[in-house]
Amino acid sequence: MQSKYKVGLLRLNLVLAALLLALMAPASENLTEALLLWMAAGWLAVSAALVEFSHRRPALVPWQLLPSLLLAALLFTAPERFPLWLWAWAALIMLPQPGWMSGLNLLLAMLSWSWLAREMPPEQAAFAGALLAALLLLGLSRSRDLAPLRGVASRRAHLVPGLRLWPRAQLARDLIRERARVHRDGVHGELMLLRTERQRLWPQAQRLCDLTRSFEHCYRIDGRTLATLLLSADAEQAEGRRTELLARMGPVRRLRTTPLDQVVSLAEECRALERQPATASAQRGVEHV
Amino acid sequence: MSELQHVKLHAGLYFLAALLLVGQANWFYLVGDYDRILLPALLAPLLITAALMRLGQPETARLSAYLVLVCGYLLVAIELPGESSLAPFWLGLPPVLTLLLLPLGPAMLLNLTLTPIWLLLGESLLDRDLALGYLSLVMVAGLAPWEILHQRALLKATDPLDEECDAIRRSALHDRLQSECERAELLDQRLAVLVIHLPQLEMAGEQFGAGARRALLTSLCDTVLRCSRDHDLLGREGEADFWLVLPDTSENGALLVRQRLKESLQSTVLLDTGRVDSRLYDCHLGKGESPQRFLQRLQITTQRHAES
Repeated sequence: MQSKYKVGLLRLNLVLAALLLALMAPASENLTEALLLWMAAGWLAVSAALVEFSHRRPALVPWQLLPSLLLAALLFTAPERFPLWLWAWAALIMLPQPGWMSGLNLLLAMLSWSWLAREMPPEQAAFAGALLAALLLLGLSRSRDLAPLRGVASRRAHLVPGLRLWPRAQLARDLIRERARVHRDGVHGELMLLRTERQRLWPQAQRLCDLTRSFEHCYRIDGRTLATLLLSADAEQAEGRRTELLARMGPVRRLRTTPLDQVVSLAEECRALERQPATASAQRGVEHV
Repeated sequence: MSELQHVKLHAGLYFLAALLLVGQANWFYLVGDYDRILLPALLAPLLITAALMRLGQPETARLSAYLVLVCGYLLVAIELPGESSLAPFWLGLPPVLTLLLLPLGPAMLLNLTLTPIWLLLGESLLDRDLALGYLSLVMVAGLAPWEILHQRALLKATDPLDEECDAIRRSALHDRLQSECERAELLDQRLAVLVIHLPQLEMAGEQFGAGARRALLTSLCDTVLRCSRDHDLLGREGEADFWLVLPDTSENGALLVRQRLKESLQSTVLLDTGRVDSRLYDCHLGKGESPQRFLQRLQITTQRHAES
């Protein structure tokens, strides 16, 4: 893949940063400082382990929040040891992040500046503050750069490169198109919703993509629900395919299939799946509407 | 944020930095610190030049980033050798400034090569802890541009739509064509593909700029959307070559679409390039032809007609 190399280098950078912070930790003067450094190193190391080339794990807000809080805490506990890290706020604000997080980062940057400024001559403090503000603005403009692109594309992009798995918003659009097509072609189409365990979602998604034909797209509805649009010559063949698919998918907690011409809306189908009793045997969960 | 807003923001910030330096020079004058007036007084006009250059052509804009960087470096270099306790504080400014102004690769290289210079400049700075602190700042701050690059590459690999227009990308197009071939075979249907070439596209970009190019692409996508059905699929095979995949379409049907599209495009008149010129050809999936074979045939057709 053309972009695989980037993940390797990014991981190397994360590991190096974690190592450097871990090297700094033993020289700390007190326990809080050492603890904070170890936590920062740990955060970087875990990020290095988690980084991957897909939309599978959207950046979680608490996970992104941690480095900001750690930086602020370090600047507050040991201002004489890490004064140079004040400038790191400009880099943190550069990360793609929601608006309120940018606001929080700006606030924390201002607070830590005023904390460091106590030790400086006033004119130096004012000069440094003005420079920091300029750098923060530069960083903010870089982060806003990507935001509109992400907003639109995330509703139609594949979730994992190379896998035929689409987000929920795409299903809503495909449903209308596919219904009209199935009607024209005179074949039997059905929407299948599958509820799995949260931790088994991605392996199950992979298997679902392998078991369906290349023109039957698969979708991730939420953290534990998958969907697919199945096409068969008639209702009987559809029944056979469903049984075979289920047998090879392994255990599924809930299942709901609806012929495409009876689907009112995706939201309605999801609610119906929710109301359905969880059955131990997936086969009995099949409901024919 | 659009490119123009970026340019304006950067130029504005450089200009404000110049004002800040004038303020600093004045302050030194007021407190009678005459030795230190010279540097900010000299750098302020340099920053104003950088601000004006940022507003110019892309090449001069890149030069302006280096100019600002040099100003920042000089300011810090003057601060470092002093006895002041603020030296470690200023040490953090250059690497972050570099990362903000330059692309990731050059910025990291510059930061790492400059490490010994910064640490040697201030005598009080030669200390293991500070060196580690500097290096970790370089590494951690470098992660932010990394993340941006990562996200961008990811979007490029997963977003099926082309960057310039509403057609799908080449890789997505090949996937979809393959699946449409399989569907046609399963349902025993015909499949036709219209190969569309826009001979004016290259010229439009070179002579009239990106705007004219985009207008041409948009008019093609809009016209195709108007003339085709909901499940027909427009994809971009090459720079100026498009494929319109028409599932369940006979030879006559494809000819009809081709004619309608040709007429529609011809009647579209654009500001710069005038009447939209297009070359259209239709290809059909043969009985028992494999998707790979059909794809190859389409590519050969596309190439032949793009060259003629």
